[in-house]
Order: sequence, then structure tokens, then C-alpha cells
Amino acid sequence: MQPLVPRNWMIALRGVAGHRMANAISYRSRQACRPWVLAAACLALYILATPSRAVPSFARQTGMACSACHTVFPELTPFGRAFKLNGYVLDNIKQITGIDTSDRQTLAINSLPPISMNLMISYTHTGQPLPDSAISGALAKDGDLLFPDQVSLFYAGKIADGLGAFVQLTYDGAEDHFGLDNTDIRYAHHFSFGGANGNNHELLLGVTVNNNPAVQDVWNSTPAWGYPFASSSVAPGEITSAKVDNGAGGFGQTVGGIGVYVWLDEHFYAEITNYDSAIPGGAHPLDSTQTNVVQGLAPYWRLAYEQRWDRNSLEVGVYGLDASTHPGGGTPLQGPTNKYKDAAADFQYQFIGENHSFTVLGTYIHESQTLDASVLDGFAANLHNDLHTLKVTGDYYYRRTIGGYLGYFDTSGSTDPTLYAPASVVGSNNGSPNTNGYIVEVDYLPWLNTKLSAQYVDYQKFNGGSTNYDGSGRNASNNNTFYALLWIAF
Amino acid sequence: MKSHDIIALAIISAMYIGAHAWAADVTDSLTDAQKATLHKTIETCGTCHGVNGRSVSPTFPNLAAQTAPYIEMQLHAFKDQTRADPDAQAYMWGMASPLSDATISGLAKYFSSEPAPPGRPGNPALIEQGKRLFQEGVPAQQIPPCATCHGAHAEGMASFPRLAGQHAPYLLKQLLVIQSVLRTAPVMHGVVKNLSKDQMEALVAYLESI
Repeated sequence: MQPLVPRNWMIALRGVAGHRMANAISYRSRQACRPWVLAAACLALYILATPSRAVPSFARQTGMACSACHTVFPELTPFGRAFKLNGYVLDNIKQITGIDTSDRQTLAINSLPPISMNLMISYTHTGQPLPDSAISGALAKDGDLLFPDQVSLFYAGKIADGLGAFVQLTYDGAEDHFGLDNTDIRYAHHFSFGGANGNNHELLLGVTVNNNPAVQDVWNSTPAWGYPFASSSVAPGEITSAKVDNGAGGFGQTVGGIGVYVWLDEHFYAEITNYDSAIPGGAHPLDSTQTNVVQGLAPYWRLAYEQRWDRNSLEVGVYGLDASTHPGGGTPLQGPTNKYKDAAADFQYQFIGENHSFTVLGTYIHESQTLDASVLDGFAANLHNDLHTLKVTGDYYYRRTIGGYLGYFDTSGSTDPTLYAPASVVGSNNGSPNTNGYIVEVDYLPWLNTKLSAQYVDYQKFNGGSTNYDGSGRNASNNNTFYALLWIAF
Repeated sequence: MKSHDIIALAIISAMYIGAHAWAADVTDSLTDAQKATLHKTIETCGTCHGVNGRSVSPTFPNLAAQTAPYIEMQLHAFKDQTRADPDAQAYMWGMASPLSDATISGLAKYFSSEPAPPGRPGNPALIEQGKRLFQEGVPAQQIPPCATCHGAHAEGMASFPRLAGQHAPYLLKQLLVIQSVLRTAPVMHGVVKNLSKDQMEALVAYLESI
């Protein structure tokens, strides 16, 4: 999902594990010519590419309407979850097949590729204009039209029997950049065992290769596909986030992982996926000019239970990520590392009726940080920090046509005046990452693949304060954001 | 007996006889490849309708113990897009389009042989009203007894579907789309023409309960 942090700020924030640059430079100083800043900027271009949503490729492949898999895109229905877990392979269009001499199938692809596009056009208005990026004391234009906000090209569908892919290439209007976005390639196989006459167990065993922790998840309570599904890329966003989250501190699409999952009796889900850095661009093999580089492997884990009854479904689960990283950004990729242990719980209740659908979902993430490397390099004051994140959202839609959602978000954590230092707009005056507020959105979908949205983000607290939070006189409410979006998938 | 009753009876009889012939056991004649396809298709159907034909969500009907001729008829109707109610278009047109005749017959045989879902209790007064409607109809409204075609216990007869134990919201939706002719069902159009929403709700409450 698109983080609440805007692209400009993310570039600044991501410098060293989402810490160093947030403290060292302002949003404007991203234009400085230090090589590691440029490297971080390159990195951020990829990190910030917004993940995808509903994909008409799937509708074309399956012959089913969007409403089969989505309540309102991109939120998944139980069938949508099953479709994803099964590897995106359900199809109804003519196949091009091949066999070898032992009658083994060697090819089974759609006669027409499952291609589709996404177009987003947006307008952003913040409570107070942002400072000019070049002239001190001047202000940027009040309001920003992005045409496009994003344009994405998808290959989303079957590759072979049991093997499917969700691949998104995105052009980002704010960054004027085209790159690989969220990607999930998976293989799944179905087994039945233990019993007969309806008492057998159904097991789905799958393998996923993807580039963003939790992008492979099928519930919308986890970060990668969580609310808000879209948000402004040019409004200020909070200073940090947990590694498993999709904000300034998260890995985003700078990692690559392979994992296995099981889905038992359509109730129990378990997964483990190991990630390593896969940073697009910059120096390769990765070196000190890159930032936030994973040391060893970073395992992501997930357990969930889902119960369905009538038109309802309820999921409760836990997930987490353990990662050791080198800050890089001018420091060598050897020696001490920063260690992040994320442990999270989530839930999702969903009701899908003929005319009404509503969902309540949320997650709580606790991150324990041991910052040996950042303390050594002078990027952090505390050896141990904690970060807590809470997100709760409720949505409602009438006939999948009109509706919206209300959400609450809260980030709180240890005070660290070095890690969260004052900086215009993006910094913290009191060394605190604490941010909270509400988000409300109204949506109208004249067609299932066209969404008109009006969103408002209201900050009660931003980077540790309500007033003069950044040390430059900016208030939290100055970052309140109105975001209008036309979103078309075809 | 009025003339339209005679016509309806003739149509019913013809469908009944035809459906019996249709229900011939074809699974035994499947090749290994066809059996593999059938097995995979059953898994796909099970995603919504339940692996054993007993679905959780009332959006998707139970298929367990449904009559084989009815399942076959409906799958063909989805495949050739002659059944065009909203859910048929959203879900089943796509699902049914790649099915071969052999797979359709195999699916019908499989799901029809699965144990029926148990009835679910509901409002006793509503159920009682629905039971009377089902068994006796409403002569004053020219609504014939449903049991005439669907069986005394709503167990279905050949191409007339089993209704017992079916999700009430699903049945209600079908009555409504048939009444509004979003779903084409020649015999049923006349039957439900004068059926009120309240009567429908009583009827489906009874059917879900047995």
C-alpha cells in the first residue's frame, strides 16, 4: 500500500534505516550532492512505488466480475483470498499447451496474456503549504495535481498449471520514474488426506517469491495491502515505521524473499518467508553507498485462523519480521548491525451481503530495536528503542457502489533526540516519533473498476507534537491532507 | 384443470423424462485425463460451494444432494449464457465456460451423490406458514403447491431442483430474479408471478429448515 509518507519526505527519511537522514537533513536537503543521498534517492524511487490493487487481468482470465474477488477493490473477498492462495491460476480462457513424449505437460499458458492497466489521477491539498524546496522562506504551490499520480502495467495471472504471478510495473508521476512495483509469484498444490466421506482434510501447500514482506498475505489487515489503499504521495508523512510496516522505516520493495505457506481446511494459515536485500539501482554488489542493507536473512512469519459463517468471516492472526541491517549510507556493510524484531497481531471481520458490505480490521505492531550500528555511527542516542503501531479501520459500502471508511492510526515509541532530530517538516523537535490521527474517505464507484475518492487525513499529533513539532514552527494540523483521487483499472 | 395447468404439466413431464435420460451415468466412461480434469474442477467449485457441496456463504448455493439433471442443466445454461441473473454473470459464466460436457456430467454426478446439508432451525411461525405454502399453494392467487414439482419433502425431482436445506437468502434471491425475469425459468415465471415478498420469505424459511 501506499505509505502515508510522501515521496519527497521518504527520500529524506530512508537514508539510514529510516533514521539517519531523517535527523541529519531536511526534506529540502535531499537535493544535496552527497553520493549516499543520491543513492538513497534512487532507492526511494523503488521503495515508494505504490503497490497494486485490483487487476482486471484476473477478471479477463477467470471470466468473473471484479466483485467475485473484491468487495470494493482492492479489498479481497473470501473467494479472492482463495484465488490468491491457489496461485492466481484459475482460468477459463483458451490455453496454449505442450507435452513431452511421456505425456508430461510442459506448457499451459493463456492464449492471451493477462495484461491490464491502472491509472490514478490525484489532487492533494495540505492544511498549510509546504516550504519551497529551493528558496528559503518561500512556499510551494498550495495544492498539487498529479496527472498521473501513477500508471501501472500488470501481468497478473497464470503462468503454468499451479504457477501464477502478480507483477506490477509502475510509472510514478511525482518522481517521473518507471520501475518494478509489488511482485508476487507463487506456486500452489492441493492435497487431500486423512479420511473419507467428507471427513478428509484439505491442504494447500504453496511457495511464494515476492519483493515486499506481507505482500503475499491475503487479509487486508496486514500492512502491504492494508488501509489506506491509496494516499497522497506529496503530503508529509510520519517520521518512521516498523520494518514490517509500509511506512518510512519499512523495507518496501527493496527486498526479495522466498517462502512456503500452508492453508489447511480453509481455516489455518501458516507461512515463513526469508528475505534478503534486493535493492534496485545503485551500487551492485551492494556496498556502503546503499542504505538499510539486510545482514544475513530476514525471516517473516505468519499464523492466521479464519472462520466463516453465513455471509461473515473473521480472521485473527499474528505475524512478524526479524531483521539485522547495516545502515550503510557512507558507513561500511561490516561490523555491528541494527536489529529489529517485529511482532504483530491482526484481525479482520468481514460481512458481504447482497446490498451491504462492511469490514472492520486492524493491526498492532510492536518493534524492538537494538541499534548497535546507529549508536556507533552517531545516528541514534539509545541502544534500545521500541516502536508501537496501531491501525484500526472500518469500511462500509452500499451495493459496492458508494461508501467509504474511517480509520485511526497511532505510532508511539521511545524518545531518541538523535534518531528523531529536528528538521523542517520531516523532523521532530522533541525526539519523539509519536504520531496519531484519523483518516476518512468517501468513495463512489460508478463501475466496479472505477473509483472516485475523497480522503481527509487529520493529525492529532505529528512526529512527537501538536504544535511546532519539527522545531521550525510547523503544527501537526498543518499536515492535514485532502486527497482526491480518480482511480481506474482496465 | 385449467388449460395453463395442463400446459405446465406437459412441460414438466417432458422435462422430467428428458432429464432422466440426461442423468445417465457418464463418469465411468471418462478417460484418465478427463477424470483428472474433473477432480481439479471439483476443487475449484469447492472454493465457493464447499468441497463437499455444502457452502458456508448463502451467496453460493449448496450443491450436495442436488439433483444431477438440474446441476447439468444449470451448468449448460451458464456456459451458453442463457441463465443471466447478476450472480450468474458475475461468477458462473466464467466458471462454466471451459467445462466440457463430460466434466459437467461428472460434476453433476459427484455433487448429487454428496450427503444433503442438514436443515437449519428458524422462526417457527414463519416456517409453518412456508410449509403450508409449499404443500398447498395458494389457489386464490393461482399459486400451485411447490411440492408438485419439487417433491413432497423438497428433495427435487430430476430437473426440478432440490430445495430442502438450501440457504434461505439464496432461495429468496432466486425467487426475486425469476419473478423479475432476470433469470429465465419458464415454468417458474407463472408460479411466482403472484407470490409476495412475505410469502417468499416464509417459503424459504421453511425450505432452509428441512
